[in-house]
Formats: sequence, C-alpha cells, structure tokens
Amino acid sequence: MKIFSESHKTVFVVDHCPYMAESCRQHVEFDMLVKNRTQGIIPLAPISKSLWTCSVESSMEYCRIMYDIFPFRKLVNFIVSDSGAHVLNSWTQEDQNLQELMAALATVGPPNPRADPECCSVLHGLVAAVETLCKITEYQHEARTLLMENAERVGNRGRIICITNAKSDSHVRMLEDCVQETIHEHNKLAANSDHLMQIQKCELVLIHTYPVGEDSLVSDRPKKELSPVLTSEVHSVRAGRHLATKLNVLVQQHFDLASTTITNIPMKEEQHANTSANYDVELLHHKDAHVDFLRSGDTHSGGSSREGSFKETVTLKWCTPRTNSIELHYCTGAYRISPVDVNSRPSSCLTNFLLNDPRYKIDASLEIPLERAKDQLEKHTRYWPMIISQTTIFNMQAVVPLASVIVKESLTEEDVLNCQKTIYNLVDMERKNDPLPISTVGTRGKGPKRDEQYRIMWNELETLVRAHVSNSEKHQRVLECLMACRSKPPEEEERKKRGRKREDREDKAEQAVKEHGPEKPRPDSDRLKGILERGKEDLAEAEVIKDSPDSPEPPNKKPLVEMDEPPHMEKSKGPMSLLSLWSNRINTANSRKHQEFAGRLNSVNNRAELYQHLKEENGEEVGLTGGPRTSIPFLKCSHSPVVNRMETTENGKASRQ
Amino acid sequence: MDDYDKTCLESALVGVCNIVQQEWGGAIPCQVVLVTDGCLGIGRGSLRHSLATQNQRSESNRFPLPFPFPSKLYVMCMANLEELQSTDSLECLERLIDLNNGEGQIFTIDGPLCLKNVQSMFGKLIDLAYTPFHAVLKCGHLTADVQVFPRPEPFVIDEEIDPIPKVINTDLEIVGFIDIADISSPPVLSRHLVLPIALNKEGDEVGTGITDDNEDENSANQIAGKIPNFCVLLHGSLKVEGMVAIVQLGPEWHGMLYSQADSKKKSNLMMSLFEPGPEPLPWLGKMAQLGPISDAKENPYGEDDNKSPFPLQPKNKRSYAQNVTVWIKPSGLQTDVQKILRNARKLPEKTQTFYKELNRLRKAALAFGFLDLLKGVADMLERECTLLPDTAHPDAAFQLTHAAQQLKLASTGTSEYAAYDHNITPLHTDFSGSSTERM
Repeated sequence: MKIFSESHKTVFVVDHCPYMAESCRQHVEFDMLVKNRTQGIIPLAPISKSLWTCSVESSMEYCRIMYDIFPFRKLVNFIVSDSGAHVLNSWTQEDQNLQELMAALATVGPPNPRADPECCSVLHGLVAAVETLCKITEYQHEARTLLMENAERVGNRGRIICITNAKSDSHVRMLEDCVQETIHEHNKLAANSDHLMQIQKCELVLIHTYPVGEDSLVSDRPKKELSPVLTSEVHSVRAGRHLATKLNVLVQQHFDLASTTITNIPMKEEQHANTSANYDVELLHHKDAHVDFLRSGDTHSGGSSREGSFKETVTLKWCTPRTNSIELHYCTGAYRISPVDVNSRPSSCLTNFLLNDPRYKIDASLEIPLERAKDQLEKHTRYWPMIISQTTIFNMQAVVPLASVIVKESLTEEDVLNCQKTIYNLVDMERKNDPLPISTVGTRGKGPKRDEQYRIMWNELETLVRAHVSNSEKHQRVLECLMACRSKPPEEEERKKRGRKREDREDKAEQAVKEHGPEKPRPDSDRLKGILERGKEDLAEAEVIKDSPDSPEPPNKKPLVEMDEPPHMEKSKGPMSLLSLWSNRINTANSRKHQEFAGRLNSVNNRAELYQHLKEENGEEVGLTGGPRTSIPFLKCSHSPVVNRMETTENGKASRQ
Repeated sequence: MDDYDKTCLESALVGVCNIVQQEWGGAIPCQVVLVTDGCLGIGRGSLRHSLATQNQRSESNRFPLPFPFPSKLYVMCMANLEELQSTDSLECLERLIDLNNGEGQIFTIDGPLCLKNVQSMFGKLIDLAYTPFHAVLKCGHLTADVQVFPRPEPFVIDEEIDPIPKVINTDLEIVGFIDIADISSPPVLSRHLVLPIALNKEGDEVGTGITDDNEDENSANQIAGKIPNFCVLLHGSLKVEGMVAIVQLGPEWHGMLYSQADSKKKSNLMMSLFEPGPEPLPWLGKMAQLGPISDAKENPYGEDDNKSPFPLQPKNKRSYAQNVTVWIKPSGLQTDVQKILRNARKLPEKTQTFYKELNRLRKAALAFGFLDLLKGVADMLERECTLLPDTAHPDAAFQLTHAAQQLKLASTGTSEYAAYDHNITPLHTDFSGSSTERM
C-alpha cells in the first residue's frame, strides 16, 4: 500500500458555463399520485435536472462513497469553473466532508444561462486544479517532517476528474495540452518552493456529458500516457443516470473497491408490521475484503481485468447475529463499507440495525494518556503475591479498604481515615484473637501459632504500605499509623541492635537511593534504618523457613545485592556428609510437593534481594514479591481484579483459583 | 498422498495444496519444505515440462503455485551448487520460488554430499524458519520470559515512505486490559502462541548444557514448572474475566493477549498483532489515549458496569448514519417529496417534521442547483392548500401557503432566502402557539 498514490488527492473540476444549465432531458416524476385521492387532480408536470445538477450530484455520490470508505488520507478538492475558477474547499481534513461541499456548492448555485459564453471556460478550473495539486496536504507535510532527510520519499500524485461539455475531440485535445503545459510550468515553480510540491504523476479523467437523445461530439478514449507525468482518458457519457453510473464505476476503479451483496435480510414491512420480507443490500468496500474469498472459492487468484468486472458482486447470505455472544473470533480483516443505494429502505434498515448498539454509549471524549496506564500498572504490581497461599492480607476482607486505595498516586483525607480505620480494626481483631486465613498448605500440623500469624500478617501489610510510602505524604501517614499500631515481636529490639552493625549495607542502599531516586527527597537516615530493619526481619524470616526440610533449593536468578551473611545450606564443594546428602534428598523430594516461598524464589543462592526497587525507582522500598488484590489498572477497571491468584494444591501443582 | 516411482514435482505440490486447504483452509500460513536431489524428472510431468506449459492451463489443472494460502516454499537440494548449475535445475527451482511470489528460499549443500553437510543445510533452514521468537512479557513489575510461535513476520507499513520492515520488540509491555465485547474480534495481521520459558541468569533456557549433572537438570526443570509464572496468572485471569490485554509491540504498534480455547479443556495464551499505526481499531480511537478509567472524571462503564464508551462515535458521521440526500434514482427524490406531502396533510400536528423534511429537501436542491424542484414543490403545496377539507385546522392553510412562498423565494437562487444555512421556520399564527410544541 502506498499512502501517497494518485488517490491521495482528487480534484473535481465541474464546468459551470452557461450550456451546463441545459436540461439533461431525462424527466423525473416528483408528484406521485397518492391513493385515496379521488378528485380528478392532474399531477404536476415532471421536471428534469440540468447537466449541472447531474454533474454535481454524481460527483457528490463519488465523494460520499469515497469518504465512507476512506474517511482519512483520501482528499478531494472541488473546483467550479466559469469566467474564473472557484475553489470550494481545501485539502485540510476538516474540509473533507459532504456537508462542507454541499454548502459551498449552494453558494455557487446553478450556472447562469444568460452569462456570456465567450468569457466562460472549464480551462480556468483545470489550471486551478494543477495549481492545487502542487499544494502540500497536511498528511504530506506530516510525513515529510517525520522523514526528515528522507522527505523526498513522500510522493505527490493526483487525479483530476473534469466534467464538462466539450465541443469536439480537438477541443478535448486542447484541454489535455493545457493541463500538460500547466503542469510543466507549475512544476518549475514548485521546484523553488518549500510549501509546494512538484507533481510526479497526474491522471486526467475527462468526462464529456451531453443531454440524453443527442449525439456525442466526443469519442471515448482509454487511458493514454501524454507525458511521463500525465495520463489522460476520455469518457463520453449521457447525462442523468448514465453519468451517475459512470462515476460510480470510476470511484470503484480509483479506490480499488469491490461489491458484496447481502441477500435475504428479513425486514419488517412498513405497512404490515407483523409480516417480514427478505431484501438484498449491495455494499461497496475495498477489494481486499474478497482476497480470502477468492482464494478459497475458485482458486483463480484475483483477476487482472479491471474493466468489466464491476457488475460482479459477491453474494453473502444474511445470518442474524446472536447478540449475547462475547467471544473473540479470529478475524483477518475488517473493511469500511458504503451502501450503493444509501437511502433505499433496505439499506437504511440494515445500517440502522448495525449502528444501533443496544449498549449505552457515552458522548464524553475519553482521552487519557496511555502512559498513565503504564504508571498505574507499575504501582499496582509493586507488591503482588502471585500465589493465594502466600498471602494473608489479600485473603482478608478486612484489609480491602486499605489495599484498594494505598496503590493510588495520591490519597484523600477520607482515604487516609479509611486506612487508619482498617488498621485499628486489625488491631482489634488481634486483641480479640480472631483467626487469620493463613494457609496451612505445604506445612505440617496446624501451621503457625496465632501470634505468629498476626506477625506475618502485619509484616505483609507493612510491605504493602511501604511499597507505596513515597507516593505522597499521606501514604507516609498511613505507614506511621501502621507502625504505631502493629504488634511487635519481642526480639525486634534485639534485631535492631544487630542491624546497626551492618553499616556497609546501609551505605550501599543509600548509594542506590542517591543514584536512582532523583525526583523524590532522599529518605532520612532514620527512615532508611527502618527500611533496613524490616529487610533483616524478612531475611530472618526467610532463614527460619529455609531451615525447614520442606523448603527446596531456589532456582538460579541473577545475582543481586551482596550480603555479608554466609549462605546457610549451600552445596559445599568439599566431601559431603551423609547428613547433608540425606537432607538434600529429602529437600528435593519435598520441594516437589509444595509451592516455594516467594522470597526464596527470587533469591540467588539463598540470598534474597531486598528493596529491589531502590535500584530502579525513586528511592522507595518494597517487599520481596508484589501484588495487591485490588483493582489493577485497566482500560476498563472492574471491581474484581483481572489478575487473580493461583492456588497451590498438595501435590505442588498450581491450579486456577 | 499417493507416492509414485517417478519424479513429478507438480503432482507433489498439488497434493500439498489440497492437503493444506482441506486441513486449514486458506488463511493459515504454512511452510512447505520440498526435499529433492535436484533432478527434475523427465518428459511429461517433469518440472521442466510443468513450467513450460504453466501458461497454457485451464482452470481445472492450474499450476499449484502460488499456493492459495500464505506460504513459504523451502527447497532443500541434496546437491551442491556446482552440480545444480551444470544443468538448468537451479533455474527451474528458482522459478518455483518466483511463482510463489518470491516467498521461499533454495538451500544447497556446501561441499561434498555427506551427512554432516546435509545436517548443516537443515540447520540453516531451522535457523531461518523455525527459530522461536524470545521475548519478555511485562506488566508493571510482573514479568515472564516467553517464546512466541510462530515467529512474528516483519511488516512493511508503506513500501514508499517507510520501506524498512518493522519487527516487534523483545520487550512486550502490557499497557492495559479491555473487555472482549469492547475490542470485539478485531482484525489482526497474525496470531501466535505465547509459551513461558524458564531462563537462568545467562539467558539460556534452563536445562540446556549449563549443568552437566543430569539430576540437577531435571530438578531445575521441575522447579521451573512450579515457579509461579506470570503467564499462567495472566492467561487464567484473562479467561475468567473475559478480557484481553493490550500489549505494546513497538512504537505505534500494539497487539492483544488473550486466552483461546483449542478444546473444551485446554486453552492457550495467544498474542495477535494489530496493524501498526496510531489507530489500528477505529472503534477504540487512538491507542495513545486509552488510559486507565480510574483517571476518567466519571466511570465510563457506569456504576453498575452496564455501559461502555466503545465503539467511539466518529467526528464525521458516515453517509449511512447521517440521512444524506441522494436523488440519483427517481425513487429517492419521490420518497423525499412524499414525506413532505404526508406531513403536509397532517398539519398542524406534524408542523415540526413537515418543516424538517422541507428544509432537508430545500438544502439539497440548493446544493445541486436544482431550483426547478423548489418551484415544483411550492406548486404542490399550494395545490394541497386548495384541497384542504373543511374540517382542516385553520393553521394548516397558513403553514402551507407560507412554506410554498418561502420555497418560491429560495428558487430564485439570488435572494437571502436562497442561502444554504437559512431555514424555513413555521409561521407564527394565532393558532400555532400550541401546535409548534408538538413533534
């Protein structure tokens, strides 16, 4: 496909000279006798359209079909020619619609039969057409700007469709010569201009139209190359419906259209609402829509015979769609259509049926930058445990009010209040010794004791809140509330002391904050210490679990932050004791039966990287795994999250929740 | 396919053609591998004969190339280049690729014919045609290493202004989720299976030669099977929620990830590629503007999730959605005139519709320079006025006379009444106060 082919720019030049006011001599009965009128009324005399009216309505029909199928990038410039050229619109996209053209045509009105024929000529319009073809369109401009040094790849081709009443073949030749000469001149001008483009290729389509019943003074001539830049063809057509038919054929040729007829569409009868009859509707569309059809039907691949094939239409039988289905079907192409007979009752019945989506539609524009979605996904996945048995808080209804808002970029006072309420509620639950939904899958016995359960829950909640603490000062307040309220294990103080010795680690973390967190203020050292304390708790926790024979070896992952604690239970290079052989074996066997602790999964040689996001984010710290069970950002956001969790079963296989 | 004792490549290709079409139809891309010793057969049925008569075929015995489905034809010659060049074999085989619209390639053996060189030739085919595409699927902090199969084909957006084929990113970033009903079976360039792969730190697949300990390798694979994988999570979630994930494939290029059932029990995570561009699916608008709905002032799906912002309404309606006036067929014109007449007879109840239809006709007639029609309809309305029954509302006569007069003024084509944007408005009469409010 070429965007800038001949069909990017179409110039209509319609003759507006006095002779175009002549009747086409095809009568239209407009006063149809309506039944139930018994008096002897004589209907009004039929009227007939002028050559001008026929030309204009046929051109508008050409444009209608083109705009329906190519609402963008295929442009029309409409010029009317009499004693001068009247350019009715520009190449800009907002000028490209039927209403604009109709309004402009109305201001021109029909030709004045009493004007001096000597002053009038279609030549003015043809010269203006060449001029307008040199003008750059916004699409050409945009493509040239985008391509920079390759701007010359943007082609400038176009088509001039001229509808006139010519005197003779030599008159036609004179028009052609004039176009050729004008192109030559304007290309010279355009060569020295920034906002004009030289015409590389121009297709001149001359349509001679004359009243029905007269002899044509001009002969048809197929497309002929007049110069490397200009080709020309001549069509001699009777006015009235013949002209409209010709332009319909041309629009199909020019824009590679094909026809499909939908047959047997049941429609209710206007008069008898209970009965329905079947109708056919013919549609035009790009011929690519038939490619697969031609392939699978007769294996004769797409015909090269352009002419004559336009009476062909592919017939499809109507099948009333089932509206309740929301399945995703494999679709290789979707094509815009235009009904051949847009105002006929069957056509409008079909298009109304298709356009009337029963679903509610909103008028408001919905233009939200996609970048915001990425940003939101980042926030929502900071802490997102993938396995349902590895999370406590996302199994608790009581946590939802906090978890659903903490991922937000900013919190309202009400949000903060709700978070605080959630925390108080949890404190209350702990005081009452309410059970927690801690998974016992993969563990022996009853699982951890109640106070240990609460410690796990508080740790997890803290991980979640900390993952978002740098979002805003209000997030910070939620964390402060949490830290003030949460239960602290007795050994914590002891750990804190140990933690202070790890100066080098702190330095490293601090370094990371400096390097990767330029936007946000660097956390003060107290806070950082807090972060590290938490990290060590997590580490300690990881170690506790690691000691259990249930825990398998973690898979390899890329090495992360150095830690000064030696790995616990690594395969040593030296000779192995019987005990280590035995426990390795048991560990491997057991590892097949349960899901691995998330922290260990992300670890290397039993070293889990903590606060990974210190490295890549704004100096904020998060837990080992990620993901709240609250809404994650979608184009559409439902109340339940799209990403659910996996449930582990006893045999260690992950199954859908 | 029957086999015979004579080299007849055409029959083989016809056979392939039939099998593929019966099995998969005409839309599924297929790679056809032809293994040959480079001898083309002799006499009738030889490739030389086939090619010589290729232009003299009837519809029923059409030459099988180009294949009637998207294809690549790979010709594997068990011969080296010199051998093939000594006859016209290579030329004939190249003709085959040309006939398949250039889709395909010929492979020959480097050096003498031996197992090693044959293996190396097939190795090249595998590298070219069967290498899976490795990528990292990302959704915020959640990631998974995946392979995409078949390998997505490069795509040329515009042969003239942008002839360089575009390839998709190896980082596939999810940018949002949307209802299946909203995306509604969009057209796609191609579709691909997305399979998770476990990678170790060097980026190699787990279990390929890093450890020489067999048991370790097995346990590594087993562990890989048990690691919670984002692909599994995503696939299950999309299936349960009836949604698809929109994935960024490159600059201004998107695709979708979705769950596709291949049987009642089994379904797969699939990725389909949209055509590159800022707006591949017009009913969704610009991709760059599909932000999260939580940023919208009002939830476009409504509080009860019973609304949808899609399909978006185009700025300019298409002709079939805007009640355009087309009088090319006399019936079009007659219908419009009759509509006016029908409403004229129901004045003053149908005053608004009467003037609406009248103005529609007036505008079109002015644009088409069809002033005689305005005169004609004016005459018709005046006649209707004389035919009004005694029981008619007195307002009817006033409105008909007024409308006829206005049309006549417009039909001069010169007065202000002939301005396109001027609308004929109902005459205010002593009777019309109540009637104009009716529709």
